[in-house]
Amino acid sequence: MSQVFKVKVNGQHELTVDASQGNTLLETLEQAGLEPHYHCRNGFCGACRVQLTAGDVTYINDPLAFIRPGDCLACCCVPASDIEINQ
Amino acid sequence: MSYSTFNKNQINPLKEPMFFGNSVNVARYDQQKHSVFEKLIEKQISFFWRPEEVDVSRDRVDFQALTESEKHIFISNLKYQTLLDSVQGRSPNIALLPIVSIPELETWIETWSFFETIHSRSYTHILRNLFTDPSEVFEDIVINEEIQKRANDISKYYDDLIFYTQLWQTHGEGEWEVDGEKHTVNMRELKKKLFLCINSVNALEAVRFYVSFACTFAFAERDLMEGNSKIIRLIARDENLHLVSTQQIINLWQYGQDDPEMKEIAEELREEALQIFMNAVEQEKQWAHYLFRNGSMIGLNEEMLCQYVEYIANMRMEAIGFDAPFKQRSNPLPWMNKYLVSDNVQVAPQEAEITSYLVGQIDSEVSASDLGDFEL
Repeated sequence: MSQVFKVKVNGQHELTVDASQGNTLLETLEQAGLEPHYHCRNGFCGACRVQLTAGDVTYINDPLAFIRPGDCLACCCVPASDIEINQ
Repeated sequence: MSYSTFNKNQINPLKEPMFFGNSVNVARYDQQKHSVFEKLIEKQISFFWRPEEVDVSRDRVDFQALTESEKHIFISNLKYQTLLDSVQGRSPNIALLPIVSIPELETWIETWSFFETIHSRSYTHILRNLFTDPSEVFEDIVINEEIQKRANDISKYYDDLIFYTQLWQTHGEGEWEVDGEKHTVNMRELKKKLFLCINSVNALEAVRFYVSFACTFAFAERDLMEGNSKIIRLIARDENLHLVSTQQIINLWQYGQDDPEMKEIAEELREEALQIFMNAVEQEKQWAHYLFRNGSMIGLNEEMLCQYVEYIANMRMEAIGFDAPFKQRSNPLPWMNKYLVSDNVQVAPQEAEITSYLVGQIDSEVSASDLGDFEL
């Protein structure tokens, strides 16, 4: 199954991501020059929280911060489908 | 409802709420209602550090060369942080342990508070190095008006909860007169006090430390007071974890994943909780004003600090379901982030502390073939 997904940010930027590369969503956003928020980069501070408006993500590290419905933690997840996020 | 250190009733901790259920008897972690608290314990313990590991001896030279206004900023921040950790090193234990009802959360509270005592010891480590006799600095903490204002707001919700819990545990529910004042004790009131207390602690961990952190890291950006900055990095990493735990508690209540009555209370007291947060933000801004009253420092001024407080507050408030109240959406102090990344935290120069390594460092599954390359 293809691991290449589309990530739409704030309804304008559209990025193509190969999830099998292991880059977190946060790294993907940084590489695209989008300056996402972050602190710990380790799933426990919650600073990188973004709204996940469509699609699913998989967590590659167990997040410790509470993930409210409709949010995801960019520092420890990869897309599991085409996704749309607002940051 | 007197407290027993070992509740003899058979209880099922999986059915207990986080607080105000049956008191915990067996400290068991094989089954957990909210397993996130054990994960927090593991993470926190993997962060273990001692103030003495960090060499602060060069800071003394740097300190002598600071301007008077910079010295004021540096020392005032240490005083404020000493106050915060003095409160946090005891209050979660005293206020929350008598009412907690699940073992993993009980142990988290003890772990959390213990780490705050490491922070307190590290402030003494820093100050002892800067001054031959640091007692003047410590003594000013209970005299200084600016610090007093904050101490009152920080401790009052704890004190209130502790007082009512004591009344409830000695007299039970009812109307009680103490020193000529009437107090109504019932479960609903107790839970409300708990809710406000957790919200106040959450605001404390979320924004109250960050003005001081920003000043410390601003010194470090100029290669000054680097020993101090190493210690504050370790503290910031711990505080992030403590913040996550209070955010977890608040969210578990809000989403009805714990005590259903706490969900009602969370809705009922939403405005009050918001106000607690906004007051903490306002006080931090006033603190920035106090710090810079004699002059600012290179790379940082009052306005930037206030913007940073707003930026952090937006983030923290969204995490517990409030709308972001401030316009500041971009980070006004981008260099702060590199001090807050958890794996950049370094204790000794020779060891970069990789947390995932510390958590799983023992590999018990070694097969003979793993040693195949060895020759004697």
